[in-house]
Amino acid sequence: MISRRDWLAGLALAPAAPAIWAQAREPIYDLLLKNGLLIDPRNNRHGRFDVAVVGDKIARVAPNLPAARARRVVEAGDYYLTPGLIDLHTHFDAGGADLNLQPDHHALPSGVTTAVDAGSTGAGNFEAFRTRTMARSRTRLLAWLNIAANGLAGTAAKLDAAGCASMAKSHPAAVVGIIASAAETAERAIEAARSAGLPVMVERAPGDPVLARLEAGDIVTTAFGPKADVSDPARAAQKRGILFDTGSFWFRVAVPAVKQGFLPDIISTNINKESILLTRANMVTTLSKFLNIGLTIEQLIERSTVAPARAIRRPELGHLGEGSVADIALLEIEKGKFGFLDSGHTRLLGDRRIRCVLTVRAGRVVWDTEGLSLTDWSAAGPYSNFR
Amino acid sequence: MRLRITAALLVSLGAFAQPYDLVLAGGHVIDPANGVNAVMDVAVSGGAIARIEKSIPPAQAKNHIDVSGLYLTPGLIDLHAHVFGYSGWLFPDDTALPAGTTTVVDAGGAGWRTFEDFKARIIDKSLTRVLSFLNIAGRGMLGAAVENNVEDMDPKATAAKIRQYPQLIVGIKTAHFSRLGWTAIDRAVEAGRLSDTPVIVDSGILTNSGRNSREKLLDRLRPGDLHTHAYNDRQLELIDRFTGQVHDYAREARRRGVLFDLGHGGGSFLWPVATRAMAQGFPPDTISTDLHSSSVMIPQSDMPNCISKLMALGMTLEDAVARSTVNPARAIRRFPELGTLGPTRVADIAVLALRDGVFAFKDAWGHKRLASQKLECVLTVRNGRVVYDQDGRSRPVWSSAGEYEVIR
Repeated sequence: MISRRDWLAGLALAPAAPAIWAQAREPIYDLLLKNGLLIDPRNNRHGRFDVAVVGDKIARVAPNLPAARARRVVEAGDYYLTPGLIDLHTHFDAGGADLNLQPDHHALPSGVTTAVDAGSTGAGNFEAFRTRTMARSRTRLLAWLNIAANGLAGTAAKLDAAGCASMAKSHPAAVVGIIASAAETAERAIEAARSAGLPVMVERAPGDPVLARLEAGDIVTTAFGPKADVSDPARAAQKRGILFDTGSFWFRVAVPAVKQGFLPDIISTNINKESILLTRANMVTTLSKFLNIGLTIEQLIERSTVAPARAIRRPELGHLGEGSVADIALLEIEKGKFGFLDSGHTRLLGDRRIRCVLTVRAGRVVWDTEGLSLTDWSAAGPYSNFR
Repeated sequence: MRLRITAALLVSLGAFAQPYDLVLAGGHVIDPANGVNAVMDVAVSGGAIARIEKSIPPAQAKNHIDVSGLYLTPGLIDLHAHVFGYSGWLFPDDTALPAGTTTVVDAGGAGWRTFEDFKARIIDKSLTRVLSFLNIAGRGMLGAAVENNVEDMDPKATAAKIRQYPQLIVGIKTAHFSRLGWTAIDRAVEAGRLSDTPVIVDSGILTNSGRNSREKLLDRLRPGDLHTHAYNDRQLELIDRFTGQVHDYAREARRRGVLFDLGHGGGSFLWPVATRAMAQGFPPDTISTDLHSSSVMIPQSDMPNCISKLMALGMTLEDAVARSTVNPARAIRRFPELGTLGPTRVADIAVLALRDGVFAFKDAWGHKRLASQKLECVLTVRNGRVVYDQDGRSRPVWSSAGEYEVIR
C-alpha cells in the first residue's frame, strides 16, 4: 500500500486517468487548519501556513492546501498556530498529593498537550501514578521522579538514589528526569540523575551551593521566586547550559531580571490546587504575564515548545514538522486592560492577554472554545447523538 | 443634638477604624431574594454580609475593591455537580470557584456506605461549600453493578445517614437505573419521606423499561422533588417529538410543584430542546451544570456559561441569577441561609462580567449557536475571603510592594 504522500507525488507526475480523478475527490486530510500564523521555532517556520493532519500526524505544512480535500476545515486566519505547548512543571497526579489537580481540563484548554508532573511521586509510588492518572489522561503526561520515595504525598523523606535511578530507568517512556522538591534532597537527586543518565530538576534556593554541582541540561525551576538569585552566579550558570525554568514566580524578581536581560529558558506553570486559584497558573495566563513583562510571542512559544522538549530530551515533541505527532494549539492575543497575579500576591497590569481557542491532541480537536470546528445547530439537520 | 453627636462619632470612627474586612464598590448588585437590582457597595465583615448601601466610604474597608462595570450576585449554587465517586468526578475548588460557584451539591457520588469517605476526602478539604444528594445505592455512583443493585437500596439506612449530617446532606439522588420498574425511584422517594428531604431523579426512562415520564412526574415524585437533565430529550422527553410542544404532563408536574433542573452535563443541553422550551415559557427552575470530566471540556458548560446560554434564549440576567441562587437554595431547603446577600448572611459572592461580542456556545451534542453576550466570573468571595481574582483587583501592584514582603 502506498502512502498518501507518495500517491500525491504520483498524481503530480501521472497523466490524468479517470480512475485517479475519482479518487482525487476523496478527502485526504482528516483536519486542515487554514491560514494560521505559524510559529514553529524548531523548524524555523514563521508565517502564514496551512497545516494538514492525517490520523494523529502532521501530514503537510504548506500554503494553499486544498480545503475541499479535508474532512474538517478550521479557519485559523485570526490566530497564531503553534505546536501543542509543553508544561515542564505541573502537579497532575490527581490520585496523589492533596495539592494535585486533574490534568485534562487544565492542560488542554490552555493549549498544553504535554505536561510533566513535578515529583508527585517517587520510586515508592510511581507505579500507582502511572495506572491511576497517566494511563487515563488525554494530555501526554510525563514525570519528574521525586528523589523522596513517596514524592510529595508522603511525610517520611526516604532518599534512595539507587532505587530512584532504577525506577526511572525502568520507565524511560514516562520518566524524564529526577526532581528534588526540597533543597536538602538536591544532592541525592543529582546522584540519582547521574546514575540514570537523566537531567535533574531542582528548586531554586537563595545562595544555593547546589548550583555549582549542576551540569548543562539540568534545570532550576521556580527560578524567579522570592529571594531567587538572578545576578551573576545565575547568569554564569545559564551560560554553562543550566536551564532556568519559571514555575511559580514573583513579579518583583522576574520583571527586573527580564529588564536586565536575564530571561527564563523555559516557561512553565507550577499549576496546582492553590496556584490555579491564586495566580491563575495555567499556561496561557503564565505566558500572558511574560508577554506583558516584555517577551515576544516568538520568545514565549520557543520557551514553551521546543525548549522544554529539548530539556526532557524529546526532540520529537514541540514542533510541527511533517510526520510529527499532531499536537497543535491555536492562540489569540486579546488587547484590553488586564491584571495578573503572582505567587507573591501582587498585581501586574497589562494590555495583552493570550487565550487558547483550539487545541488538537494526537489529531483530535479536544478544545474548541469558538466552535471553529463545529457546525451551527440550525444547519445540523435532525439531531442525533453523534459527536 | 444627641443624634448629631452620634453621627459625628460614627463619622470619626469611620475615619480611623476599618470596620469592614472587604468592600466591593460600585458593582451592579443583583440580589433577587431582597429585590436588589442596582449599583451598590457591599461590605463584608467576619465572613458575613455587613451592609449594602449606595455608598460606603473606602476608609472603612481593610480591602476596598472597585468592581464598577461588573455585576455582583450571591455566590452561585450548582445543584448538580460531580465531585466524588462517579468516574468523571472533578475536584470542586478549581472548577467551581473560578466560575463564581461557592456551593456545589454532589449529585449521588456517595451513598450512605461511602459518605464518610466523601466527607473526609473532599468535603472537609474544600474551600467550596460541598453538599450532597446521597445516592439511594449504598455505595454511590460506582457504575451499573452498584447502581442497579436494588438489594443495596436501603431507605432506612439512607435516611439515617441524612439525619446524622443534616448540614451536609440535602436529599437523595437516583440515577442510571437500567432495570425494569420503579424500585430505585420508589426507594429514593421513601428515603426522602423518612428524612423529609427532596429527591433528585435522573432516571433512564427508556422504552420498555416499565417506566414513563408521565407517571414519574405526576404520580411518583412529590412536590419539591427534582427532575434533572430537563433539556435532554432522551430521558424525559420534555418536548413532544411530533408536535414540537412541551408535554402537558410536564406543565402539570410543574403546577404540582415538581422542579425541573437543567443539569447541562455531557448530553443534556440540546439547542432544539432548549430553544423550544424557552420559547414556550418552560425555563428550568434551577440552573445547574452536571459538570464532570467530559462535560468540562465543552468550553461553555460551567455556571456562567449555562446562564449565558439561557440568556441567548431570552432569559434575563436577573431571572437567571434567581434560578442559580435563590431557587436552588430553596430546593435544598437552605434558603435564606444561602442564595442571598441579606445582612448577616454568609459572604459568598460572585462578581461577574457581562461581555459583548460574538460568542459561540456549544451544546452537549457538539453544535454551536452564536450569541452576542457572555457572562464570565472575574472574582469570587467565599466565606468573606477572596478566593479567586482573575485580574488581581484585590492586590497591590508589584512595584509598590516591599521587596520580600509576602502580601496576604
